[in-house]
Amino acid sequence: MNAPTQSRQQILDRIRANTRSVAAEHLESAYATLPRTYVRTGSLSAEARLALMIERLREYDAEVVECAPQDLPSTIAAQLQSSGKRIFIAPAGLPASWLALGFDWRIDRDLSSAEIELAEGVVTAAFCAVADSGTIVLHHSATEGRRVVTLLPDWHLCILYASQVVETLPEYFSRCQNPPMLATYISGPSATADIEMTRIKGVHGPRFLHVIVVHDHADQPKNQ
Amino acid sequence: MTSAEIQLNPFLEAAGVRTYETDLAEIILQLGQDEPSHIVVPALHVNRSQVREIFARTMGLKDLSDDPHALTAAARTYLRQKFLSIPTAISGANFLVAETGSVVVVESEGNGRMCLTLPRTMITIAGIEKVLPSFQDLEVMLQVLARSATGERMNPYTSVWTGVTPGDGPQRFHIVLLDNGRSRMLAKETERQTLRCIRCAACMNACPVYRQTGGHAYGSVYPGPIGAILTPQLMQMHHAQTLPYASSLCGACYEVCPVKINIPEVLLELRSQVVNQERHTAGRFFDPMYLGLRVANLLFSRAWLFHAAQYFGRIGIRFFTRKDGWIHSLPSIGGKWTQTRDLRGFPRQTFHEWWAERDLKPTGEAK
Repeated sequence: MNAPTQSRQQILDRIRANTRSVAAEHLESAYATLPRTYVRTGSLSAEARLALMIERLREYDAEVVECAPQDLPSTIAAQLQSSGKRIFIAPAGLPASWLALGFDWRIDRDLSSAEIELAEGVVTAAFCAVADSGTIVLHHSATEGRRVVTLLPDWHLCILYASQVVETLPEYFSRCQNPPMLATYISGPSATADIEMTRIKGVHGPRFLHVIVVHDHADQPKNQ
Repeated sequence: MTSAEIQLNPFLEAAGVRTYETDLAEIILQLGQDEPSHIVVPALHVNRSQVREIFARTMGLKDLSDDPHALTAAARTYLRQKFLSIPTAISGANFLVAETGSVVVVESEGNGRMCLTLPRTMITIAGIEKVLPSFQDLEVMLQVLARSATGERMNPYTSVWTGVTPGDGPQRFHIVLLDNGRSRMLAKETERQTLRCIRCAACMNACPVYRQTGGHAYGSVYPGPIGAILTPQLMQMHHAQTLPYASSLCGACYEVCPVKINIPEVLLELRSQVVNQERHTAGRFFDPMYLGLRVANLLFSRAWLFHAAQYFGRIGIRFFTRKDGWIHSLPSIGGKWTQTRDLRGFPRQTFHEWWAERDLKPTGEAK
């Protein structure tokens, strides 16, 4: 046996020996019957939920604008315009209609980190959002982009559909029938309080977060 | 924290590997050759002008101001090039998910995201107690951790990854599951609860001892109440024997602990282990304290011996009792007490004796 395998065996043996008093089947049933009486499902109406999400995002200093689905391309263009930036990254799967004319788009087909570092901003979709904590959830699909594209650029425009907004974190988890391989939960910009407990924004991640909330059809989250 | 626990940086430096800390507080400590004093804000003891001095000296920034914004920006610039060019990153983990094999890192600054996204090779070191059964359990732990650690509804960045994803992030990933005494801690139920810790630091923020002494006084990687129970156990009680005493047992830590570790209970258990270990050490047998305690143990566990001791004690003490009923001076060790205060003489009867006689006397006289 090589060293790692041997260590693993030793650790597992010790764990088994030291937990012998707890039978395995007993543990499983104890886990299955754990009381989960914490708040799992939200109680807000669709409008109140969305209003809470927007309030939280604004608390985090994110710039939030709302629009109807048909106005999305023009709203994106207006946001890009007002940013004063020109070079933007787009994940490979971003709808073509979102790529406003007149900007220097770098479609992320395996761009190197150095190329992404040169871009001034990035536009992505989201997987979901949690109103209670103002969290944007990325699962890094083709429209949400690889992890690096929402990390290096200093400016991030995220397109969020009202139907993607849930109220509580457990509601997000129940939306994940298959747990994601990759996920990033963003609640406000990068921050630190490491120097004299003074809160400072923007240590490493994007310092500017813009969100377009799209009022799609019923504004109803799909119930699982 | 985990890499500090196993002293990884000094080991790597000795092997000729240059390491760069990426957390703002940790860079301050690394560049200033200092030690952490808090789990969540490790450079709590360093003030802004000290940070300015360290950064100006080590980053070659003569005109740096001591404004925290400027200092943070300096660290951002300093580290960005490192992130983009260094091929290997080492991280810890906040949670591991057994169901999916995923690793979860909870952070505020984004240095974690940089480390787990940009390098070609990623190495994660995680204690074996970080494993959660299912992905869904994160719905509890993530909310509990952020709220207890910094009071935020949610920390700015949480990352979940599962092995290697082609085309996204490091293409080589190693995970080191660290035992270092943890499996041994499972043996007893009292100590086992220590392993529930999610390193939120709520206990140190609430601890009156920590708030007076600061983290360095504990002399251990994990300071505060949790450090006082964790470090001695990780070190098998060999060093750190004074740590279980670094507490007033007020219970404030237990009150705020989100995973309900009964820290005072574990502290008492460890104290008894320290005492047991100590009194069986050669040379301690004739120590006056242990000698006295052995005698007391003998007396208190046998009623006849106890009564006899009371009887002879009362006779003996009479020689020192003055007419006013007080003892003003005692010889030998007892003198240390009477030097500064008087002692009341022993009563004529014990309570038990009085109680037995009580009914035999006419009412009114039983005073």
